[in-house]
Amino acid sequence: MNEWAVKLSDVRKTYRTGPIEVPALRGVTLSIGAGEFAATAGPSGSGKTSLLNIIGGLDRADSGEIWVAGQNLQSLSSSELAHLRLQRIGFVFQTYNLLPVLTALENAEFTLLLQGMPARKRREKVEKLFSEIGLGGLEDRRPAELSGGQQQRVAVARAMVTEPALILADEPTANLDSASAVALLDVMEQLNRKTGTTFLFSTHDPQVMERAHRLIRLRDGQVVTDDTRSGKAGLGEGDRRVGQDSHLSPQTERPSVHEAQLFAQAK
Amino acid sequence: MTALALGLGLALLLISLGLLDGGHEQTIADGVRFGPGHVVIEAKGYQDSSSDELLLPAQVVSKVEGFLSTGKIKQVVRGVSPRLLATGLLSSSASSAGVRIVGVIPEDERAVSLIPQRMVEGTYLKSDDKLSGVVIGDELARKLELKIGSKAVLMTQSLRPPGTVTTEAGDEMQSTLLRVSGIFRTGLQAIDANMIYLPLSAAQALLGVTGGQVTQVTLLLVQEGDSTQVAKVLREQLTGAPVEVLTWRESLPMLAQILGLDHAFNYIMNGVILAMVGLGILNTILMRVLERRYEFGVSKALGLKPGQLAVMVVGESLALTAISLALGLGLGLSVQHYFATAGLDLRWVFKTGLPPALVFDPILYSRLSVDRIVWSVSIVFAMATIISFYPAFKAARTELPDALKVL
Repeated sequence: MNEWAVKLSDVRKTYRTGPIEVPALRGVTLSIGAGEFAATAGPSGSGKTSLLNIIGGLDRADSGEIWVAGQNLQSLSSSELAHLRLQRIGFVFQTYNLLPVLTALENAEFTLLLQGMPARKRREKVEKLFSEIGLGGLEDRRPAELSGGQQQRVAVARAMVTEPALILADEPTANLDSASAVALLDVMEQLNRKTGTTFLFSTHDPQVMERAHRLIRLRDGQVVTDDTRSGKAGLGEGDRRVGQDSHLSPQTERPSVHEAQLFAQAK
Repeated sequence: MTALALGLGLALLLISLGLLDGGHEQTIADGVRFGPGHVVIEAKGYQDSSSDELLLPAQVVSKVEGFLSTGKIKQVVRGVSPRLLATGLLSSSASSAGVRIVGVIPEDERAVSLIPQRMVEGTYLKSDDKLSGVVIGDELARKLELKIGSKAVLMTQSLRPPGTVTTEAGDEMQSTLLRVSGIFRTGLQAIDANMIYLPLSAAQALLGVTGGQVTQVTLLLVQEGDSTQVAKVLREQLTGAPVEVLTWRESLPMLAQILGLDHAFNYIMNGVILAMVGLGILNTILMRVLERRYEFGVSKALGLKPGQLAVMVVGESLALTAISLALGLGLGLSVQHYFATAGLDLRWVFKTGLPPALVFDPILYSRLSVDRIVWSVSIVFAMATIISFYPAFKAARTELPDALKVL
């Protein structure tokens, strides 16, 4: 196998506030295959969000190796990390993190704007995606004029519109009612199937855990279980690693949306 | 608020510079027109000794007048006036006062001096005046209780130019009866209480000066900025003659020093205004950056590079600066235009009269050159740009993932 979206090796992270040290990750070794629909779960303080932040290049690990889309994040500068996030990673945050002064459409096209796509093409692309995920007609509304579920779908659209290799979703259903959560998960699962984009969630939500094809449980900053649901996984069960590493050379193995799509279709 | 603060800063700067430059231009113009002109030619040593006995030879006067009436230099010279200066005692039936006698050719003096324009009673001297006509200041007139047509006696000592043979009359006191033909008011006590003007021929006769000698030849130029160049050309023309050619900065060193000091002080004041405005802008932009920490955090998380974020903040600051400068220019130039036309009346400041040493018109007219406007706008623009660097740096350093927390 050579289709890894994420690969972590002995990743450690400790937060320090004055003399107080709080270990968040204690030697996490993990691989996420391209096209997976996986979730990390665990109690508060187990390290889920820290793990996602580090994988997304929003935070840096104290030690260990983090490979995302074939690049070693520990060796990248802030600008290179930003470039990687822009081109290869999408984020869905628990609190949506939409920019309040922009409309739904403007929020969703923001990353395309950063990529330098012409305005007309951006608009076409976002409008198409909006209609696919049930946001048609809401383009000109500002976040404050949308429900929680609608805002989170705008956030998903923003994450998806650049066709990233990996989408990191931190507690995406935490602020949604049950029906909205189901609808959102439907959208994300559908996109996963359709585009082969890798999804990695952190969650408390049993619905997300149920829908995830792979569930990685964390406790006290360590992976304690890693379960792949039969018939749901994007990759073969034998490819899951808990606390061990594969024999990859990530520099030469950059998963792409196209490759992931092919892989998904092969399944 | 930032735009307003910056715009107000520029407006204040323009108004302040306009009044400063206008005041200086006016002070120089008044100073030279009440005094020795933009350029003055005197006998060598007169500037240092102030000895009235040091006179310009008549041939020097002729040569200067001849030279200035021809060629390119004629175009930069507005007027030339020979003067004979001396001290004397003017007495009326009521009182006596020490005076500075200025013998002038009325027509020439009109082109150079402001006195003919400041007549409040009677008329200025005319070339066909009888020898007894005299023009005096209103302070002197009040002190000696003189009116138009009043008689006064001017007493003085004959001048003895160095090298001249003393005659019997040479050392004697001379006196003449004068009739007041005009009274002027400049607002300057030093002039209004001391100076008397009479025809050059009358002064020469009274002082025993023969052969057309005078104390000085004063030149009023079209532009003050040509003073140095005109003085240089005249020095070259008069090489070998026992004369000195001085610009107003040399003949009125006190005025030049006061203006220099005033310039320096005003630059400091403008620097303080700019610093205050700058600190205000820095504070506002920094606050804006802190307020937008979440927005910057989200943008960075989505892939905006730190450098791009910094450029964005600087760009926004520059856009804000451009709007502010437009506001400031509009406001500043409007107020400046008002002061340039209506003037700023400062007479209420000097209710008790202007200081004797100050050559100053109490109504101040603003003057602002295009260079000054460009300079001011450039300074404020550069300041705002430099000031935006620090907030831009702070924005670029927005810490992830902390900045993503919704407060």
